[in-house]
Amino acid sequence: MLRQPLTRALALSSPSRVAPLAARRFADQVQAQPDKVEVFIDDKPVYVPPGTTVLQAAAEVGVEIPRFCYHERLAVAGNCRMCLVEVEKSPKPVAACAMPVMKGMRVKTNSDLTRKAREGVMEFLLVNHPLDCPICDQGGECDLQDQSMAFGSDRSRFTDIHFSGKRAVEDKDVGPLIKTIMTRCIHCTRCIRFASEVAGIDDLGTTGRGTDMQVGTYVEKMFLSELSGNVIDLCPVGALTSKPYSFAARPWETRRIDSVDVLDPLGSNIVVATRTNEVLRILPRTNEEINEEWLSDKSRFACDGLKRQRLVTPMVKDSRGNLTPVEWEDAIVAAARALRDCPSDKLLAVAGDLADAESLVALKDFVNRLGSENTCTEQFFPAEGSGTDLRSSYLLNTKIANVEGADFVLLIGTNVRFEAPLLNARIRKAFIHKETDVALIGPKVDLTYDYTHVGDSASLVKDLATGTSSNEILKRLESAKRPVVILGADQLKTEEGAALLAYTQELALRLQDNLQDKEWKVLNVLQRTASQVAALDIGYRPGVGAALAAGPRVVYLLGADSGIVTREALPKDAVVIYQGHHGDAGASIADIVLPGAAYTEKRATYVNAEGRAQQTLVAVTPPGLAREDWKIIRALSEVAGAGLPYDTLDEVRERLNQVSPALVAYGDVQPNNYFAQARALAKSLQKPVSGKLDVQLKQLEDYFMTDAISRASPTMAKCVQAVLKQKTAPY
Amino acid sequence: MSLLALDKWAKLVTIISQNGGIFKSIYKLWRFDTLKWNGKLVGTDSLGNKYYENPYYMLGRSRWVEYNDYVRWDYDATQITPEWYGWLHYKTDRLPHEDPAKYCISCCAWYQKWMLPPEENLSGTELAYYPYSTVRQHIQVWDGKSVCSRPTPCVCK
Repeated sequence: MLRQPLTRALALSSPSRVAPLAARRFADQVQAQPDKVEVFIDDKPVYVPPGTTVLQAAAEVGVEIPRFCYHERLAVAGNCRMCLVEVEKSPKPVAACAMPVMKGMRVKTNSDLTRKAREGVMEFLLVNHPLDCPICDQGGECDLQDQSMAFGSDRSRFTDIHFSGKRAVEDKDVGPLIKTIMTRCIHCTRCIRFASEVAGIDDLGTTGRGTDMQVGTYVEKMFLSELSGNVIDLCPVGALTSKPYSFAARPWETRRIDSVDVLDPLGSNIVVATRTNEVLRILPRTNEEINEEWLSDKSRFACDGLKRQRLVTPMVKDSRGNLTPVEWEDAIVAAARALRDCPSDKLLAVAGDLADAESLVALKDFVNRLGSENTCTEQFFPAEGSGTDLRSSYLLNTKIANVEGADFVLLIGTNVRFEAPLLNARIRKAFIHKETDVALIGPKVDLTYDYTHVGDSASLVKDLATGTSSNEILKRLESAKRPVVILGADQLKTEEGAALLAYTQELALRLQDNLQDKEWKVLNVLQRTASQVAALDIGYRPGVGAALAAGPRVVYLLGADSGIVTREALPKDAVVIYQGHHGDAGASIADIVLPGAAYTEKRATYVNAEGRAQQTLVAVTPPGLAREDWKIIRALSEVAGAGLPYDTLDEVRERLNQVSPALVAYGDVQPNNYFAQARALAKSLQKPVSGKLDVQLKQLEDYFMTDAISRASPTMAKCVQAVLKQKTAPY
Repeated sequence: MSLLALDKWAKLVTIISQNGGIFKSIYKLWRFDTLKWNGKLVGTDSLGNKYYENPYYMLGRSRWVEYNDYVRWDYDATQITPEWYGWLHYKTDRLPHEDPAKYCISCCAWYQKWMLPPEENLSGTELAYYPYSTVRQHIQVWDGKSVCSRPTPCVCK
């Protein structure tokens, strides 16, 4: 574990790295502001707190100092020397990224000495860097290219090419996601620092020294992390590039569309790069509230699943029971007839993992107009007590960014690392930088940091909640100033789910009542899918069990692909209408298939696990005859004789606004309340629990294929194979 | 006579009678938006279109075609056969049967096997020509049966 050395490294060189955390100040945390120091950057005075580095002080006045190894979110290494600047009365140029400011320091970022130093550093870097920009995937977005244009020399003195040749390094195999061309490596060690600090996989390192230095894993080994793709963005040169995207496009050819990821419940912000109506790659977009600047591997690399197994035309089962392509008119008429002829109590609508809020509200309105109340989600949530009436019972109330400020995190029945990788990265950040302790009730899994494993029995939660536990975790929780309790929504599926939720609410709110900081929220429920929060907000009933037992005649699946609704569970003559974008579990049992749009193909609202509404934008057009989902439901409602009262996206959103203003407050999280009421209603549900908590995603190979898009993705399949192969390797 | 423009009225009556009565004239006017006077039928092509000439009209209007009744309003300039094209567009004053080359092409044993019969423009109809795409489809379509492989539940500890 890196914990100790890192804290020491922090204290020594980079108080800046704790700055974002220190800036997150709470009521009882107000510290005396230390006196600011005056420094002069290019004769411009700037006041900064002592301990700030020269590079940050320069950034304050808008002077950008070139750098390769320095990165705001990683420890300072100071080994690329590109940020050398001249400081008055200093005999040598100093590395700006590692040099703390001193009173009255006069920094010259554009003097002859500085320019000469940069030119020299650049010359040495280029001596050991191949001139293969024309075939390099980083070309166009390469820091080395840009900075050699800006700061490099205009001629080369490299004449050794015929004598000993250029440095050449063997490429490493680190898995199916990252392509390595190690000859291009300039030893900035960003990837190494990312792996050990953020990803928590201490596998990368350097071997050898001087010209023989190599970055790698020493033995051939896959980079077994769910955040591995981020080293591609971090690499300032083309040493680490994306394997699925290799030789696909240049950055200036692509159109970039801001969007939101839907493959995990956090709703990370992404940029979709497209060309010729094809999604080429997905990159993270900085959002300090959610994903910082990282992105998990599934969100980044599953985009090739958008081109496989697609539904491009409406389909209806023919007389021999095969799904055959038909025109929209025929499919809509067939579906409308089935819906109209169905008794209203025998109609069931099921929403799946990737459904957007617009189609959810349209489907619910439509089904209600047909006289049915049976709109369900695949994911379960107990309806006893306050159920889904109070928003605070099913959200991440602490909020993702605030988890960093926690001093004790209790995870109940969740493997955060794979259910919400970037939330886990936040917890790890808190663990490393803030001495936060983590405890887990549930199966023992690798969370990439040390935690106290309390056990896997549900009764432990009960003991903690009632205060009868003799476990020292209870004392730690009670003495914590900012505790966080995260309950995995998967645990609520069982019969004891309601009791478990009641106990968790009891525990969290008992802790919350005793806190000094009245704004701090303790209770968190981590949903598993991107659609669940919006569905519950709109008023879907969670879980399909009861509705299936009633024997529905017509089942409308809105992207329901989890395999919870099966043919065996339905009566023989039931008609299944599937609307979605991938041929998966739902479409394969359907009688009528209506092709919808995937998240890159529509402007749609998704609400993430903290209750933050965000919208995706249209990056490519839906393939073939596929249409935006709410439009399909709108058209169907017209033919079925229950026309919905909205015709444009704005009108649908106005309807969403009527249902809940939080659904259209894009980018904002509404504060959640009524904790006490939820707790009071849950009191009667506190029955003894005896089961064991288990999580679905235990290992890295479980993580990659969890929904219709990632199951269709060849890259994700390769990842699973590679991880399984790595398991059998000796290292 | 000229004060009441009776000659004009007389000409109108002549035109209507030449075009086969009131109803046929209206039908013709509806189809072709014009009624012509004293057209001399100079020939008929293989598609049944009739070609007329009246030098009374100015150049550019003095030769015209009345398309086969069969096509009704779906007539198109490409239904004019190649041998009549030149005469109709004043490229030549010789009628097809007066032009030995055209005459041979259309009715002699010299008629070449590789010369296809004239064909009208079929764009916009079901018989329109579409070149097939040589670009690989980047969307792979679901076949209506298979389900994506799901990772097997983990067995290792």
